[in-house]
Amino acid sequence: MPQRDNPYVIMVRRLFHHRSALLGMFLLGILLLCAIFAEQIAPYDPIVPLKDAKRRATPCIHLLGCPADKPQHLMGIDGNSRDLFSRIVFGARLSLQIGVATVTVAIVIGGLLGAIAGSGFIGGWVDDVIMRSLDVLMAFPSLLLAIAIVAVLGPGLINALLAIAIVEIPIFARVVRASVVSVREMDYVMASKALGASDLRVLFNRILPNSVSPLIVQGSLGIASVILSAAALSFLGLGAEFPTPEWGLMLGEERNSIFNAPFLVFFPGIAIMLTVLSFNLIGDGLRDVLDPRLVHGG
Amino acid sequence: MIQFLIRRLILVLPVLLGILLVTFTITRLVPGDPCYVMLGEHATQASCNEFKARFGLDKSIPEQFVRYVFNIMHGDFGNSLKDRRPITLIISERLPMTIELAFLAMLFASIFGVILGVVSALNRNSATDTFTMLFANMGVSMPVFWLGLLLAYFFALVLKGTPFALPPSGRLSATMSLVPLTKVWGITDATGLKAFLLAMLSNSAIMNGLLTHNFALVGDAVKHLILPAVAVGTISLAIVARTTRSALLEVLGQDYIRTARAKGLPYALVVRKHALRNALIPIVTIIGIQTGALLSGAVLTETIFSLPGVGSRMVEAILGRDYPVVQGFSVVIALIFVFTNLIVDASYAYLDPRVRVK
Amino acid sequence: MKRILFVGLTAVLLASFVLSACGTPATEVPATEAPTSAPVATVAPTEAPTAVPFVGEKMQAPDCNFGGNLKAVEAVDQSTVKFTFCAPEPAFIAKVGSVEAFNIYDSDYLKETGGDATKINENPVGTGPYIVKEWVRGDHITFVPNPTYFGTNKPANSTFILKWNKEAAARLLDLQAGNVSGIAEVTADDLPTIEADPNLQLAPRKINNFLYLGINNTYPPFDNEKVRQAFAMLIDKQKIVDDFYAPGSVPATQFVPPGVKPGYTDGYVDTTYDVAKAVEMLKAENFDFNKEYTLSYAERTRPYFPQPTKIAQAVQAQLAEAGIKVKLSMEEWATYLPATRNGDKELFFLGWSEDYPDATNWYDVFLTGSSKAFGNAFPDIVERIQKAAQSGDPVERQKLYDEVNKLYAQHVPTIVIAHGTVNQAYLASVQNVKIGPYNENFDLMSTSDGTLIFSQDGEPVSLQCADETDGNSFRACNLLFSKLYKFTTTSIAEPDLAEQCVGNTDATEWTCTLKKGVVFSNGATLDANDVVASFSAGYDYNSPLRKGNSGAYQYFKDLFGPKVLNQPAE
Repeated sequence: MPQRDNPYVIMVRRLFHHRSALLGMFLLGILLLCAIFAEQIAPYDPIVPLKDAKRRATPCIHLLGCPADKPQHLMGIDGNSRDLFSRIVFGARLSLQIGVATVTVAIVIGGLLGAIAGSGFIGGWVDDVIMRSLDVLMAFPSLLLAIAIVAVLGPGLINALLAIAIVEIPIFARVVRASVVSVREMDYVMASKALGASDLRVLFNRILPNSVSPLIVQGSLGIASVILSAAALSFLGLGAEFPTPEWGLMLGEERNSIFNAPFLVFFPGIAIMLTVLSFNLIGDGLRDVLDPRLVHGG
Repeated sequence: MIQFLIRRLILVLPVLLGILLVTFTITRLVPGDPCYVMLGEHATQASCNEFKARFGLDKSIPEQFVRYVFNIMHGDFGNSLKDRRPITLIISERLPMTIELAFLAMLFASIFGVILGVVSALNRNSATDTFTMLFANMGVSMPVFWLGLLLAYFFALVLKGTPFALPPSGRLSATMSLVPLTKVWGITDATGLKAFLLAMLSNSAIMNGLLTHNFALVGDAVKHLILPAVAVGTISLAIVARTTRSALLEVLGQDYIRTARAKGLPYALVVRKHALRNALIPIVTIIGIQTGALLSGAVLTETIFSLPGVGSRMVEAILGRDYPVVQGFSVVIALIFVFTNLIVDASYAYLDPRVRVK
Repeated sequence: MKRILFVGLTAVLLASFVLSACGTPATEVPATEAPTSAPVATVAPTEAPTAVPFVGEKMQAPDCNFGGNLKAVEAVDQSTVKFTFCAPEPAFIAKVGSVEAFNIYDSDYLKETGGDATKINENPVGTGPYIVKEWVRGDHITFVPNPTYFGTNKPANSTFILKWNKEAAARLLDLQAGNVSGIAEVTADDLPTIEADPNLQLAPRKINNFLYLGINNTYPPFDNEKVRQAFAMLIDKQKIVDDFYAPGSVPATQFVPPGVKPGYTDGYVDTTYDVAKAVEMLKAENFDFNKEYTLSYAERTRPYFPQPTKIAQAVQAQLAEAGIKVKLSMEEWATYLPATRNGDKELFFLGWSEDYPDATNWYDVFLTGSSKAFGNAFPDIVERIQKAAQSGDPVERQKLYDEVNKLYAQHVPTIVIAHGTVNQAYLASVQNVKIGPYNENFDLMSTSDGTLIFSQDGEPVSLQCADETDGNSFRACNLLFSKLYKFTTTSIAEPDLAEQCVGNTDATEWTCTLKKGVVFSNGATLDANDVVASFSAGYDYNSPLRKGNSGAYQYFKDLFGPKVLNQPAE
């Protein structure tokens, strides 16, 4: 029999040929570098104010002509005399942690709910109840709901992430439920059951692996969305606490500097955008690569 | 079709009740005291006890809920704790502003999103396609508040003094008046629903201007809404573009399209007659679903651009523990969603007969 | 079967909704409020020709045991009002001239509206230089000159528009673009931009205020006086003022700002910044350096707190230098204030802007233990403050306050940090801009086209200022109403509605003679009953004119209390 390539290898190869996904992975690479090697890359401490620095000083880049006797601050100095570049670099670590942690929680809980609902395991009415409650949840604009939850729990990074996770759960529940439902009726599942496999075993061995691809796609897009929401909540003052170098927090702090020190607003915003962009591009790329229909069409 | 609608309508009720229950519970679990917000640094225990009694916050919780639901059915959403104005009045002032913003944002997002999506789908995998999709992706990845600030910076500061300058905040120029329609038309006896509708129309600067032929007002209002609408709509634009592209691609790949082309029909005709119409379904769905993103974006944009809409008032109310406003606005927003979804589902069912049978 | 049940239940629910909705009609929803300009009196205001005997009204407390200081307000005759106090009230004129809470309303108007804020907002009737033309909710209020204004200086502009915008950057941009004529609360970081722009003028406001770091001395280790003293040495006040405050601001050297006289002790400095010594002291007291202490504040820009978050972070960093771990808790105003007043916060930032120029507005408010924010009051301080409040002799008061200031440095109930200057900015083309500590002279500023537009940081809550405490409402009320006295652009109270108010020898009785011929914007004439009605509405819980907004009428309690007449027990 001729050797067949592992389907995953094929998928990865296709991903590397997808132009925008490539860009996304490149950006993610830079991000990971910053996150892992933050202490080495950042020239200053992100939290302790600098003693002799001039507050809100514009960026001084030696390569671009700033005199060598002035200390280099690639992105300038913020309102509390801290080096902005260092804060951005440490912020990368924080954002990645936020994104991955929150999405993981949402996938686990949402996936569980979706699987229970879709499998008709306990009874069809459970499906209705769960999906209707999730509909109610989805009836609210996500940011407003997250704000409301944080208003109850109190501001703070952990509470904000909890709120965002709750808001993200319905999406993952839907994804898992959809693939569970679609697979449930398929022949090979029926066959397994006819052969005597228990429902739970079928769930784990047959159904869940089928939802892995949409989950990966949604997961990547979910990380993008979580980072944006966390930034929005921090911007409003409901998320990360000072002096954490969270990008949304930095934007919120300096939003009144837009007209007289725009660099303080520009850099954190770019950082958020590039990070979210990278996950969106990767997610889109994965979706293109994993969706068999689009490959053959056009 | 009718059966479908009725079935969907019936399913709406438990969702509504659930929403009421949730909003009621959430605001009751919140820590802090609304009293002190209203009295500033001069509040004391005594004045707050009296304040609580005056606003009925001392009755038992189940009783408060039943009272609340009953009142809502009568159109009475209670009064704001901040200035004791009826919430229906506040809604009639704030909702038109948000609807105007959402509508313009939706217009911006739909028109440009569809154009962008069609262009990329027809030029698949070319440089145009990649750049357009990248641009669309950037739009989705940008934080709304950042985009708003940058737009304000560019159009209000950089372009200051040029004919292209746009105002960075506010809904109208200071010298513009918003005269209520009751005054303009001399109606003095409007009550209940009629009064509410008139108030809603009066408070929408655009509608007010159109109805009273005050086109300067309309122009001024739109000018102030351009930047916020673009900021809010950019995310939706990107999503609409992406969906349009994939929907169109999917349809273009179908057999009947190939058949049409094989028959010799010109490509443009094929796209127009067959592809677009069938691609419309997911596009319409997405546009409908985008109401969520638009309202979320509205909250942040209204704050940055100082627009007196539902979003900014809602955040104020949450921070200020103004329970009735939080509840009232949540119900209204949820109602808007539920009925928008209903309309979307209905048009979806109309466009795709298979759905009706389900 | 289940389906039928479900459908049936829903049908019943639907039916009940429909029935109840069709039942009692919904409460009438008024169309958008547009305050119609009040009918204007065209007849020259003089007394009515026929002699209707004047019946003077009176608000009288049965005795002096109700817990407040104002015993009676009586209309002796048509233009004379007598105020009687239980204990000496030497600061009477300053108090009644200070805040908009003591606006005088027409008694008939009060009876008609019940003092209800929602009614007053729709149609405010006052004796001020302006009347309201329209209030576009959420956007702006338009004022036009009041034809019946009694003052000698009529408004120099033909239209005044009050706008608002929470974002300081947007306000500045509006100013630079010429969309507004003036803005409030300019941030220190924007000052260079304004100073460099020839089209703008800066207008500083010197108002006595302070920012303090509050310490609740019921929380260990802050019950230890030495620990509090050490903390006072850890704050580099000069650096904070240099970094975050506008030029002209000064670090605090004792409890009250230099402008409070009697009160301020000349040449006295109570603590110096000394990190090493402070750390030594803390170590000697076995201070726990491993514990994380919570420092709370609310993000709300005030004259004394121009950049709350940045200042809080700076102090956090300064304490970190001494090895003290501090967690910042940025709170919302709603949760923050009750928590501080309840004594829930161990360390917190708060401040104060002066209402009127007297030491009682400082010492009495903070150091007599009227709130649990700081924990236990200090009897030696309380005793001296109360003596000073009742004395009319500035020399005697200064001696007492000198002692209090020294005791303050020893006990450290709070750490006062800075006194800030506030700045407003105007277009250079606006003439005659004068900013006093308590008011701006909007009615006398003039522009080339007669329209003056001012942008502040929030919408007025209501125009029923007797029941308000926020400056954004007061700015609007100041244009529409008048008080017995007023502060224009100085710290000296000038007669406004009163010709003068004269106190008896021990300041327990004040008799005010009203100006004659003053007419409200609806044509009613001012008489002494109006003063009685306005004061009894704010001071007497049983008054039918007391609807207000929240019903608290807080300033009456603060300045003439602590309790008011017929106030329900807690």
